[in-house]
This record gives sequence, structure tokens and C-alpha cells, in this order.
Amino acid sequence: MADMNAHGDGHAHGHSHDGACCHNHAKNTRKSRPSDTDKKTFRPAVSGQKAALGLSAFVLTALLIMAVFAPWISPYDPVEQSLENRLAPASAEHILGTDHLGRDILSRLIWGSRISLGSVGLIAVLIMAVGFTVGSLSGYIGGKTDAVIMRVCEAFMTFPTFILALFLIGMFGTGMTNVVLAIVITHWAWYARIIRSMVLNLRNSDYILAARVAGGSHISIFLRHIALPVLSQLTILATLDLGHMMLHVSGLSFLGLGIQPPTPEWGCMINDARQQIWSNPELAIIPGVMIFLTVLAFNIPGDALRDMLDPSLSDAGKDGCC
Amino acid sequence: MKQLLCVLLSAMFLGVCGPAAAVDYSPHDTVVYSHMTNVGPLNPHMYSPSQMFAQEMVYDPLVKLQEDGGIGPGLAERWSISEDGLTYVFFLRKDVTFTDGQAFNADAVVKNFRTIMNNESRHNWMGIIDKIDRFEAVSPFEFKLVLKSPYYPCLEDLSLPRPFRMLSPASFPEDGDTSKGIKAPVGTGPWKLVKTELGEYDLFERNENYWGGKPNPANVLVKVIPDPVSRAIAFESKEIDFIYGEGQINFDAFDRLRKTPGVEAKISGPMGTMAVALNSAVGPTKELAVRQALQYVTDKGSIVRGITLNTHPQADTYFSPIVPYCDLKLEPYPFDLNRAADILDKAGWKIPQGKKFREKDGQPLAIDFCFVGNNAAHKSIAEVMQAQAAAAGIKLNLLGEEADSFYSRQKGGDFGMILSPTWGPPFEPHAMVSSMLLPSHADYMAQIGLPMKAEIDAKIHEVMSAVDKKERERLYREILTTLHEQAVYLPIFYSVFFEVYRPDHLKNVGFGAGGTDIPFEKITIE
Repeated sequence: MADMNAHGDGHAHGHSHDGACCHNHAKNTRKSRPSDTDKKTFRPAVSGQKAALGLSAFVLTALLIMAVFAPWISPYDPVEQSLENRLAPASAEHILGTDHLGRDILSRLIWGSRISLGSVGLIAVLIMAVGFTVGSLSGYIGGKTDAVIMRVCEAFMTFPTFILALFLIGMFGTGMTNVVLAIVITHWAWYARIIRSMVLNLRNSDYILAARVAGGSHISIFLRHIALPVLSQLTILATLDLGHMMLHVSGLSFLGLGIQPPTPEWGCMINDARQQIWSNPELAIIPGVMIFLTVLAFNIPGDALRDMLDPSLSDAGKDGCC
Repeated sequence: MKQLLCVLLSAMFLGVCGPAAAVDYSPHDTVVYSHMTNVGPLNPHMYSPSQMFAQEMVYDPLVKLQEDGGIGPGLAERWSISEDGLTYVFFLRKDVTFTDGQAFNADAVVKNFRTIMNNESRHNWMGIIDKIDRFEAVSPFEFKLVLKSPYYPCLEDLSLPRPFRMLSPASFPEDGDTSKGIKAPVGTGPWKLVKTELGEYDLFERNENYWGGKPNPANVLVKVIPDPVSRAIAFESKEIDFIYGEGQINFDAFDRLRKTPGVEAKISGPMGTMAVALNSAVGPTKELAVRQALQYVTDKGSIVRGITLNTHPQADTYFSPIVPYCDLKLEPYPFDLNRAADILDKAGWKIPQGKKFREKDGQPLAIDFCFVGNNAAHKSIAEVMQAQAAAAGIKLNLLGEEADSFYSRQKGGDFGMILSPTWGPPFEPHAMVSSMLLPSHADYMAQIGLPMKAEIDAKIHEVMSAVDKKERERLYREILTTLHEQAVYLPIFYSVFFEVYRPDHLKNVGFGAGGTDIPFEKITIE
């Protein structure tokens, strides 16, 4: 099933063999991900992978429902305090108990999913937009433009992303907008590079030459024959990265740099819970589990998609890729 | 299970200061304390990163703050003040040597005063710096200090933990200028710094010949534990055996420890005030009505109960009544939402139909409230105050930032409200009040918009040189009453020190006289 899809997808892109090859190549130049090693174990166990995909689909749907319908399903106002009722254990009234200011934890989790998912979604869209624009310009125009853009990319890629993000937030000031900006600024370069190489390869392929000969303008050729296949691959790339971005957001919030109180956010909740780690460890564990589940749910389909589309795996039995 | 959790958490939080701390000391004769950073270079004439409690351990002042708040003998066993309040003669102790064997005498005092006065601009937050005219060694053990004009807190300023402390003449750099560094931290105090491991610990050894009597423990080991949560865990796992001070552990941890059998957990008297400074120069807080309303909307009682867990007394005035000159019986601002709403309505701040927050001329009643983001106690206070203000239609935007940007806001006046704890006993009220004259702290910035700021400043100058105590009382009353009526400060609770130890291990543990000294030398170890 997975293999068939991979082939189908590959052919749908037309002569994308070169492109796919280079895509793989470009990906290898990115920092290696922990999931690279998991891939091999996932692949033979197709039924296991299906189960995992089902689970992650379930988790993601649940999260989406939580985020969209937060005002209706959350039992309390997430910022309503009740100092008299602080650190209350789980009960019928407060299913997951209350935090150090007497706020309902379940309600905060539900509302927190809005910020966490929303910011990750926004970051993904922004990174894709910036990466796509810069990468395609670089790849399609080539020459000096390409050289300049690529040197800028390299400058951004030399720093560890988290450290650079910390530095940028130090300059911009704290707040969710700045966290989103910082993550976009630290991550776009990888996308720009990958897209550049995709575009570069497509640009030199036969069917583009044919289109050029047939008198197509640069813009129409780019939009019809390059942008479309690149965008579909880009989406997959971004899916792969959602979990990673989620960790970035929660990490920065944990450090108190993200959203400002009283708005609930998972990383922030863990940070608050640190003070009670001894007496009420569940305060940290609950949002921690939420982050864990979400990242996992993002990574499973991301990995699966990669397996399906990765020619080095699908063609492994034949002549290899390059 | 609890044990396992303990081990795991200790491992997580204390990774660095576990077995790595191979220190040469006898555990049976050592007090193990902890601090958020290393004690620093311990330059007696400079500030951060040298830590005050450690500067107190190593260096002595000429005169010392007593437990009753008065001034008693230190390196000077007595002193005389001329009728006009200008000439101070200090008669120095003759039995004191620095821990490197150098003799302590009037020449050493002159050498220290000279380098301090050469770096005047760094110390001008204290009033005495402006007032010192000259100083000299009259005889080997008589030191004379002459002021330009009378300055009543002269002795108080000399007793502060820095900069008027005595460094051994042999530890001065070649050019005699200590502002750029010293050769070694050598003083006359009860302790000597013998070893520093960056990020791990500082080890002090007792000064066997201390003029105030040999300290009881042989060593004080100060481990570096930056985080209050890890500190509480370190105490529970017996990594450290002494917790002392403000903010060392959080309120919940203190509450837990005081319920733990075999642990003694004490609370000191007021050691300063947790207050919020309201900016009278910018934003809605320019208006007296808004500042007053903020006083009425804050339910201090619930903060004391819900956040400090009844460990801190509620504060109704900027300085606690136990501070000298400050028992003024000023009328407190009670918690009264209706009154706040009334004042705001009259001032034109109304809640528009269907909105939550007040507006005037299209401007929302929104105030930036700044604090250090990673300080959990400050964050909780800010969050509760935010909810309380919202009940009266005032929007507080919380800005929890890292310490550097917080301090630059404090100095630059870039805040609407800012959490601004007072400095505690040795500095109150005179040093704090005198620092209100300078644009270096939140106080000046908060007050600068007051129409009577010039008048306040004039009175501060006047009080510092008032020789007559009655006159000082009158002036302090006027200054502090004006500030109270103008509602520039929103006091929440008086800060206290927590002290936690195991009485079967440590005995004779008390609180220091000032807010900066820790009486390690009196502790006995079982």
C-alpha cells in the first residue's frame, strides 16, 4: 500500500525522478533526526504502522476538536483563580485538580491546545511561505542572486536553532508573536535550501525545456510546472517538522519567554508546576504528557509519509536512486 | 516510591554538585549552606557579582548594625562626634590583624577610604559620598573623618555591607585602585575564603584569631544551587543543612518543611517590603485616581493567604512600622472594589457597553506590569494582581522578562507598574530614601511625574543633614506621608527571611542583625 502510493505519487509529479533524488539528497544535508533510525523498524511492521497512524489520527482529531471547541467544552474559565482552592486534588468538580492559583487544570489544558496548535500551525505556514519564496527565487533565477541567498542561508544554518531563537527573543522581547518570529527566522533557511534544489532540478528537466520552447512565460512555467510539485513536497516536509516546532514553542514557553500570563500554554504550565514538583508532580506530568502525545502524533504520519515518498527506500530493491 | 522520586529528582536538579564536589573539609564541623551563585571575587569595595552575605563574612566595618537597629562598635571600639556634627573620630581596636598577618590600624583605614572615594561615581547612591570632606590618621589607632555638612546617617552608611569595609593593605593592587580588582579577598572578619570552584561551591574557613571570638564551626561550605526548588530538595536529601534568607526556597516548600518532623523552620521579622512602584510619569498611572484605584483593588489578604501561605505579614505602608522613623500610623488603603470603581468613574474611566475593561477618550485602561519572569513568587503575585485588577476593569499586561531587561526598565522608567522590593534593614529608611534622589532605581522613575517631586527632593536633602532627631522625624513623616497619599507605591506584604535546619544537627541558629549578614559563627554543630 505504502509502496504503491509512493509510486503513484512519484509519477504524478511527472519526471520527478531527478527531483526526488535531489530532494533526498537535500534532506540528507539537513541535520539528522532521531526518527531516521526508527524508520527501519517501522517499515516491515506495516500493520503496526497502520495502528500507529490510526492512533495519531485519533489524537490529532481530538486535539483539533479541543482547540476549536475550547469555549464550549472547557468546564471552567481557564484564568479564573480561586486561591482558597489551590492545588486541589482530582475530583468530580475539577477532573484533573487545580494549579497553584486554584485554576482548573483541565480547562487550562483545553485552552492551551489552542495556543500550542495555533502557534505551530502559524509557524509552519510562515516558514513554508518564506522558504518557498526565497528558495524558488534562488533556484529559478540562479546566478548571483542564488549565491547571495545561499550564503545568507548558510549563515543562519551555522547556529544551533534554539540558541539563535533565544538570542532573537532577547532582542525582540518576550511574547508569543516574537517566539513565532524567532522560530521562523531560525528555520526558514533549511526550507529555502531544499526548495532551491528541487526547483533547480525541475528547471533543467526536459519538460520545462519543452514548455520554454513552446513559448511559455517564466511566470506561467514556474507556477504551473514548478510551484505545484514543489509545494506538495514542501507540505510533507513541514508535516515532518511539526513535532519539532511544537517542542521549540513549548521549550521557549517553559523558559518564560513565550505567551505571557494568564493565557494558558502547555510549556508555561510545566514551568509553573516546577514549584510544586515535589508535592504535586502531576501538575507537570499532565501537560508533559499532552506535549508528548502531540509531538508523537505529528511525527508518526510525518515518518510514514516520508517512508512512502522516500525513493531510497521504495526503490531499494531495484537500482537505487542516484 | 517517595524515596525513588527523591533520588531521581535530586539527580535531575543537582547533577552538577553531587560527587564532583570533592572538598577538603570535616563534615562534622561544617555548616553546608547554599547560594544561587558563587560568592564572586569578594571585592569589599565593589558590588555584584560579589555577594553581600559573603562580603559580610570576610570584611568588617568600623561600626556595626546592632540587633535593635542601633549602631554599635565594630573595628572602632568607640567614636566621638563633634557638636556641629561634622567631625567624627573613631578609636580603633588595637588587637586586630588581617587574616594574612597585616596589622589593622588607622593607616589601613585611610588606604581603604582613599580607594573608595577615588571611585566616587560608583558609590554615589549613598548620601555620605557627597558629604565626605577629608579623612586622616590622627594617631596609629585614631581615624578622623570630616564632613562638608552634617549628615545624620553617617554611621549607618559606614556600617553597610559595601563599600566601607576594610581590605588588607597587602591585597591592594599595585596602583592602589581596587575598583579594577584586588589581589586576594583578605579581611578581618570571622571567615576566610579558602577555595572557590566555579558553579560548584565556595569554602570558608574560620578565622582562629577573630577579634569578636573564635567562630564555632570550622568551615562554611556554600554550594551553588541556582534554583529554589532544587534547594528545597537538596535540603531534604541532606545535601545542604542550612537554608537562610529571602527567596531561598518557595512558599510551598517552606510550608512543607515546617510540617516535616525533625525540621525547624523559622520566620524572621519584617526584612523589607514587597511593593509595586507605580509610574507617575507615563501612561494611565500618571493619574492619581488610577494609582489610588490600584491600591483599593488589590486584595493583599488573599495574596498573603494564598501565595505566601500566611508566612508574610500584610503591608499597608511602604516601610514597615518597625523601621526607624516609619511608625507613622498612616491610613491604609483597604481592599474595596466599590471605592475603586467610584474613583475611576469620577475620573472618567468608564466601562463601555459590552466591554470588560475601562476606557477614557478611547484610551483603554491598560498598564504594563513588569517583573522578573523566572521568579515564580513574583510571577504568582503578578498573576493574582492581574485577576484582581480585572475585576475593577483595569487591564494589567504582564511582562515577565529576564533580569537584565527588567533592570534596564527599572532604571529607564520604561514601565507602568514594576515589582520593586525594598532593600531591607540596613538600608531602610535612609539609604532607600536618599536613593530616591537619583535616576538609578525604580523609586526615582516612579516619583518623577509627581507635581511635588522637587519639594520631596528638597526635604530628602534636608532630612539627611538634620542634626536634630525631632526635625528628622518631622521631615520623614512629611516625605513618607506625601508618597503614601500620592499612592506611588503599592505595598503588598513585608518580606521575611526563612530559616530552615535540623535542630538535632545545628544549634544556636538565629537571625542576623541586618538583612545582609548570616550569623554562621554562632551556630554549633552536634
